This record gives sequence, structure tokens and C-alpha cells, in this order.
Amino acid sequence: MNWHLVLTENNVRRLVVGDYPDALGGVALTLLLTAIGIVCSTLLGLLVGYLRFAGTKPLRVVATVYVEFLRNIPLLVLIFWAYFAPPYFGFATSKFLSVLVAMVLFNAAYIAEVVRSGLLSVPVGQIEAARAIGMSSVQQALFVMLPIAAFNTVPAMTSRYITLLKNTSLAFLIGLSELTEIGRQINNRLLTAPVEVYATLLAIYFVLNGALSACMHRLEDRRTFNRVFCFFAR
Amino acid sequence: MYHFDWSILAGPSGQLLVSGALMTLQLAACALVLALLLGFCFGVLRWSEIGPLKPVCWLYVEFCRNTPPLVQILFWYFSATVILPASAILVLREYGFAFSAAIFALGIYHSAFVAEIVRGGLNAIPRGQYEAAQAIGLSFLQTVGSILVPQLLRIVLPALVNETVSLTKNTSLALAIGVTEITYQARYIDYAMFRGVEALTAVTAFYLVLCLSIAALGHVLLRLFSRHRRVLA
Repeated sequence: MNWHLVLTENNVRRLVVGDYPDALGGVALTLLLTAIGIVCSTLLGLLVGYLRFAGTKPLRVVATVYVEFLRNIPLLVLIFWAYFAPPYFGFATSKFLSVLVAMVLFNAAYIAEVVRSGLLSVPVGQIEAARAIGMSSVQQALFVMLPIAAFNTVPAMTSRYITLLKNTSLAFLIGLSELTEIGRQINNRLLTAPVEVYATLLAIYFVLNGALSACMHRLEDRRTFNRVFCFFAR
Repeated sequence: MYHFDWSILAGPSGQLLVSGALMTLQLAACALVLALLLGFCFGVLRWSEIGPLKPVCWLYVEFCRNTPPLVQILFWYFSATVILPASAILVLREYGFAFSAAIFALGIYHSAFVAEIVRGGLNAIPRGQYEAAQAIGLSFLQTVGSILVPQLLRIVLPALVNETVSLTKNTSLALAIGVTEITYQARYIDYAMFRGVEALTAVTAFYLVLCLSIAALGHVLLRLFSRHRRVLA
């Protein structure tokens, strides 16, 4: 085994932060992509899911087409659209932005379905009660439906977020220097230790996903969820 | 302004895309068979909760589910030459080395999801069903064949169809190790002939049609499996 070739100080530093301060990469870039991706795709997913659940007829159709279209094409094709197609029409693209846009659009379609199932799980009595005390539809959505639906969909969201983290590895196919790309570079330079390099990558992703799902698992506790939710609601 | 030239899809580029589409279909079919076989085995093992196998099955499923399929593909492709004996590599080369590695990686990745689906399905069958089967004197094989499997298929089918769609989409990742499937051909048309938009459009349409047909097929199968179902009031 050639672990000593792989786990040198230089390699470990590159795996963690890439070529920082010249260019951020490695685990740091993967986490950055994941974090921005989670926030943006959750917001877009909430919007699309809500429109599919409670929008007017044309809006519902648009939301449904959006979800069905994006769920049935590979993310990789979407990334290629975002990165290789705009130059044909005279627009410059950046790797980071292309990957981010593709990932957000793709994951929002899945999250929209999760949100819709969460909204369907809100008891009708709750909505009727909200209407009875004179809440507007926006107030109903924000103060009644969202808290209930969000809590009910924590497990499903967790699996979507884990998929999102795994999907950041596709960014290496257009040359963004996130974790997988750094690993590939190390492997190309060594040539003698592919098992060790890729096992290291797999282990890092496994640990990152484990940490993510452990964090999300804590939200399945009602008290923790309420505290976090109230913090963001403020 | 960009001038579209859709006629390229009728020429050599079109042939490339067709050959790529066939490769995608082969890849998806082979990986699906492997994923279903492995997934059913591990699903039944996890469900049966045989003591010493428990942590092994848990680790297998968790590890496969929580690591990116792309990295798994790279791992098997680059590590196989180190792990496998030379004779096995010669055999794999007959079928295309990258092709075999992609099938293996995708099969293993999705088998973890299939295992969880199967375990969930087996857990969803009420205990009373086994007890009733025993009470009316069915043998083990009869219990499995006429009580367990029909119910299990009906329960797991929708999830398995979703998994098949997901597997089909993930075959696009095989381009990372140079399998000439349809996304690879689209990239080739992009950088060799500067017709990326047309090629990507064709590829998107291909995946859309393929995945929607798989979903439609799933609906047909589900209706087929449910045709004997009587709802007792």
C-alpha cells in the first residue's frame, strides 16, 4: 500500500482547501457548493411545490412541466447545457456558476415534490381554522402550512441534501477543482496509488454525508426543530 | 446570432448519437440487472437480520448510498487493474474495460437503494400473512411463491421504477471514464464539430423520452400486478 505517497502534507492540504489562496477548492469548495445549493434549491423548491399545490391552473401546469422535465433528464446534461451552450449565443460562462445553476434547478424539482407531499400532509382542519380567524392566503402559507409541512418533510429533505452533496462531484467533469477534481489530479500525478486515492475520496464523502445526515437527524426532534425554525423565522 | 443547423442530426453526428443511445441502453440494462440481483440479496439479508451479517450489510448499504456514484465509477475503473488478477482483466477487456467498470459501479451503487426498497417492502407485509399461510398448511416455497412475492412486487414496484429512472440517468456519468454513451457523443459533437446545442437538445430529448417511457411501463406493470387484488370492505 502506498498511503504515505497519498497522505502527504501537501496532498492533504489540497484535498481540504484546494489551491487556496489562489483558488478555493477541495472539501471547502464542495461544502460551499453544497451550502449555496441547499439554500437556493430549497427556496426555489418551496416556491414550485407551493405553486403545484395551490397555484392557479396555468401556474400549476407550469410547475408540473418544470418538475417532470427536470426530473427526467440527467444532472450531467443540465450542467453541460449551463456550461457549454451559452457561449454559442455569445455569453461567457463561469464553471462555478454553471454548476450551481444546474444543481439548483435540478434539485429544486425534487424538493418541489417533497414540499408538495409535505403540504398534502397538513391537516385540512388547520387550514380551515386559519381561514376562519381571517388569515390571508400568504399568512396561511407562512404561519400555518410551512411550519407543519417543513417538520413533516425533514427526513425526505435529508436524502435530497445528501444527493445534492454527492452530485457536487459532477462539477469535476467541467473542470471545477472541487474534491473529486483534486483527487483526480493527485491520482494523475502519482499514477501508482489509484486505490488509495479514490478510497480516500470515498471516505471523505462518506464522512461529509454522515455529518450532514447527523445534523438533519437532530431536526427530527420537535423541540430542536422549533428552536431552529423560530431562529430563521425571526 | 447562432444559426441552428438541425440537418447535422441526420448525418454522421446522428449516427454517433444513435450508437451512443444504444450504448446507454446496454449500460442501463446490464447495470439494472446487477443492481436488482445484488439489491434483492442484500435486502433480504438486511430484513432477515442474521446476527453476524448485520453490520456487514449495514456498512455496504450506508457506504454505497452515501458516496457519489461518479467517484465510485472512478474508483472501480482505476483500482480494478490493482485489485483484479491479470487474467480477469483480459476477460473484461473483451467486453470493454470501461464499460464493465461502469456497469459494476452503477450496479453496486443502485443495489444499495434497491436493498432498502426491498427491506421496506418485506417489512410492510403484515406478520399475519405468514401465520395465516402456515395455518392453512402451505409449504415454505408456496408461502414465498404465492403469498410473499406477489405482495412484495406490488409494494416495491413504484419505488423500483423510480430507481430504474435514476439509474438510467446516472449512466451519463460513465463518460468520465470514456464509455461512448450518448452524453459522451454529445460532448464529442460539441468539441469536434461545434454543434453542441443541437447535440445537447437531441440528448435531452432522448433521456426525456426514455425516462418517461420507463415510468409509463412501470404504471402498466403495476396495473398488471394489481389485477387480482380485491379490496375487502
